[in-house]
Amino acid sequence: MLVWIALVVLTITTYVTGRMHLGTWALPIALIIAVTKSLLVILFFMHLWEQKGANRIVIATSFVFVALLLSLTLGDVATRFSLSTPAGAPFGTDVPAQIKEPSPEHLPPAGPIGQPPRGVPEPK
Amino acid sequence: MSEAAALPGERPEHGADVHLAHHFSSLERQVEASRLGMWLFLCTEVLLFAGLFVAYSVYRFSFPAAFAAASRSSEIWAGTVNTLVLISSSLTVALAIHFARTDRPRAAVVCLSITILFALAFLGIKAIEYTSHFHEGQLPGRFYRYEEVRLPGASMYWSLYFLMTGLHGLHVLIGMTVLSVILFRTAHGYYSSHYYVGIELAGLYWHLVDLIWIFLFPLLYLI
Repeated sequence: MLVWIALVVLTITTYVTGRMHLGTWALPIALIIAVTKSLLVILFFMHLWEQKGANRIVIATSFVFVALLLSLTLGDVATRFSLSTPAGAPFGTDVPAQIKEPSPEHLPPAGPIGQPPRGVPEPK
Repeated sequence: MSEAAALPGERPEHGADVHLAHHFSSLERQVEASRLGMWLFLCTEVLLFAGLFVAYSVYRFSFPAAFAAASRSSEIWAGTVNTLVLISSSLTVALAIHFARTDRPRAAVVCLSITILFALAFLGIKAIEYTSHFHEGQLPGRFYRYEEVRLPGASMYWSLYFLMTGLHGLHVLIGMTVLSVILFRTAHGYYSSHYYVGIELAGLYWHLVDLIWIFLFPLLYLI
């Protein structure tokens, strides 16, 4: 069966990419692409190529949803308000990790008990 | 898998296949239905791991230096060998299905046994890795005490590492159990070129386990 040849090829590719760890930085993308392509080859060689469309739609749908989950979540994290980024993150670091209270002249005066705390805008 | 045909004590309907359940009009429809069901289940498994992958990418996005340093401190040789082991086990499972379809059950039994041995080898290498992680202090969350990587977020990497490889290892175990049952059945001549759905579905599950590891490997070891 051709599966044998294909899988040996894949194994060699995996081994090569395994040793390619010398190249840091932006090569992860190339690695991911190579590996996912190899995966899809496994899928096709074993199952989906010989089967009905229904199964292909099912697996394609699940990948679509995974892509949605990943893209929307990363989009959320990437565009986050800087105060909510974890300490040590490479973005949104104009605010120091230890949140310092703004100096008093920048705040509205403290209200009596029962009023919203300082710094919170009045509800409109 | 829809292999429950007639109830015990009943005889199958006149002319019906012994594997055919009464609510299907033909064996071919039953087989297609069981295949579709298996694919649906595999998609749910994909989504299960997708949740963890998204968690990994979010934290990787937030702590790139820590994740890069932490993944460099994991053993690449173990990951590479495990990848080769799993790919080979996928090959042997595919061969087993092929032999079952061509009415060579003994060759299928041999291939299935080799697959299970590969799975054991995978788990063994994983166990060695986990032991070394425990010794070095590369542990999740607040148990982290690895001296060489002290960046914030490194313990997050190890939490995700143990979660993802642990869940994957659990799936390997389940796959091994399923394959053992199938092995037992093949050895007793249950599958033939006429009816081989059981082996095929078990093979599908095993391919998925391999697939997930192939995704896990670069993310956890290579980047």
